[in-house]
Amino acid sequence: MKRVEVKLSLPVVAPLLDVIRELSFELEKVLAAPQALHDLDQEFRGAWIGELLEGQNEDLRALLSLFDGEFFAEGVVAFDETNAEPIVRACTAFRLQLRERRLKTLSDEALETGDIDMGGLDEAVRKAFMCYLFLATVQELIIQHLDSSIIGSSGSSQH
Amino acid sequence: MPEYRTHTRPESRASTEAQEESAWRVVVLNDPVNLMSYVVMVFKKVLGFDESKARKHMLEVHEQGRSVVWTGVRETAEAHVFTLQQWHLTAVLEPDETR
Repeated sequence: MKRVEVKLSLPVVAPLLDVIRELSFELEKVLAAPQALHDLDQEFRGAWIGELLEGQNEDLRALLSLFDGEFFAEGVVAFDETNAEPIVRACTAFRLQLRERRLKTLSDEALETGDIDMGGLDEAVRKAFMCYLFLATVQELIIQHLDSSIIGSSGSSQH
Repeated sequence: MPEYRTHTRPESRASTEAQEESAWRVVVLNDPVNLMSYVVMVFKKVLGFDESKARKHMLEVHEQGRSVVWTGVRETAEAHVFTLQQWHLTAVLEPDETR
């Protein structure tokens, strides 16, 4: 099984975990990406959203579980084909929520390019933006190193 | 159910025969958060696209705001929309009025 271990800087990452934990509480009962489901009847829509939420919460727990005793002792987190997929999805959920709830003052263009004067941001926004970048880096790492493992679990092509 | 789906969509929908027989489109809309590499990976994973096809649709989403990524029977279209939404892409189901 392919496994990637990453050593993170504890003083940089540990403060971001408070933001991630807050986000996970916010996302317990709401979808990170609200979806238009006009074409579904009401009962089916409820079941649909319920299952999306359940999956979202499982993914968030997978990401939070990275930051366990080993992380606080060694600063190391590990990705493999069993946790890569939920963690990549969780990063997206957290990033969507950060943009929606913490980074409204920044333009989408600025978020996309990262061209932001960090010194000009207040502490809460700066921390949220650091978290946004950190989660994107985790995603890129997993996609770069474990893309084939993630894709490998899928089956046939159909289009 | 297609085997490339990661999870099953909710069951027990009361659909009409007309809905099942007509063609439906799965449309992915642009969002300012998801990384291009992420969208390409999701298209490969969920829809079974190869790299170049996944990139083509990702760029279409990015530049034109939307891309029709699949067309076919409603049940399969719903399954694709559900799975794309599990990956937090904004995906919608539309009747294919060109047929």
